[in-house]
Amino acid sequence: MQWNKQDLDQYFTAEEYIDTLLIPLIPITFTNQKEMEKSAAQQETGMIFVREMEKHFKGRIFLLPAYHYLASGDLGAEVSRLNEWAAKANERPFKHVFFFSFDPHWKKQERNLNGTLLWMPAIQTEDTQSKETQSIIKDQVNQLTGLIKTYW
Amino acid sequence: MSEKRQQVSRRQFLNYTLTGVGGFMAAGMLAPMVRFAIDPALQASSKGDFKAVEDVENITEEPTRIDWEIDQVDAWYESTVTKTAWVYKDENGDIVALSPICKHLGCMVTWAGNDDYPDQFYCPCHDGRYYKSGENVPNTPPPEGLDFYEYKIEDGTLLLGPTKPRGEA
Repeated sequence: MQWNKQDLDQYFTAEEYIDTLLIPLIPITFTNQKEMEKSAAQQETGMIFVREMEKHFKGRIFLLPAYHYLASGDLGAEVSRLNEWAAKANERPFKHVFFFSFDPHWKKQERNLNGTLLWMPAIQTEDTQSKETQSIIKDQVNQLTGLIKTYW
Repeated sequence: MSEKRQQVSRRQFLNYTLTGVGGFMAAGMLAPMVRFAIDPALQASSKGDFKAVEDVENITEEPTRIDWEIDQVDAWYESTVTKTAWVYKDENGDIVALSPICKHLGCMVTWAGNDDYPDQFYCPCHDGRYYKSGENVPNTPPPEGLDFYEYKIEDGTLLLGPTKPRGEA
């Protein structure tokens, strides 16, 4: 399911089945061209990843719009904000909350997050449409969905 | 009266000219209207398109996943969408092409996706199952069987088109 009206209509007919929330965490920076391009590329591939995951598990995963934040080495403040999100989601109730990110700074905060962090190193690619990139992404998405299944 | 000098009178000449010019103007106005009116009929419908996906001789009795791409146009943007089908030959040698979209809540099912049911389609979300024919296994969540793809065979190549729910197939 995605955050749009049509999917929400379906969500409310089958609420008890859709128990997993997926939140993409996307950093944004204004420092210099190189960093900004990197961050933009990460958000492009990141969104491809989460959309593919949602496509496989449409009937169980609810994909939220991306959570954007200012890139920083210290994400403590963001962690407490995300935990509020997770707490609200648990009231819905969503039983499982997954955060997806390419940003390695989350790895340090992982144990403070009330949810499961799916972190992976970013794929550096010029062209997300190329056949090689597509098959790499497909394979990684399969591994991620396999991982999510083990939490259910 | 001798020979008429003027075979076309001034009045006639003006009538002809005005009719001619008026006719052109009317045609100029009507042509686009007619074109707009029949335009939807002239548009190639992208929904009913068939795409060549695989050589028929490569298809076995074991359901195999086939991916292909179509261009999808909606109101706001055009995008390339990957479509997936599970394709096999039944005991009569006829092609069966099933949609992978679970009829419960829309997850992707896989053939033999669960080791306990090696000859069924399995939905990982809520353990929905389907027999090889695509019929849903009773007492699992899906309310009906998997959709079929419409298909055509041309020169030994399988072409897949839109999906059709079971009721209409």
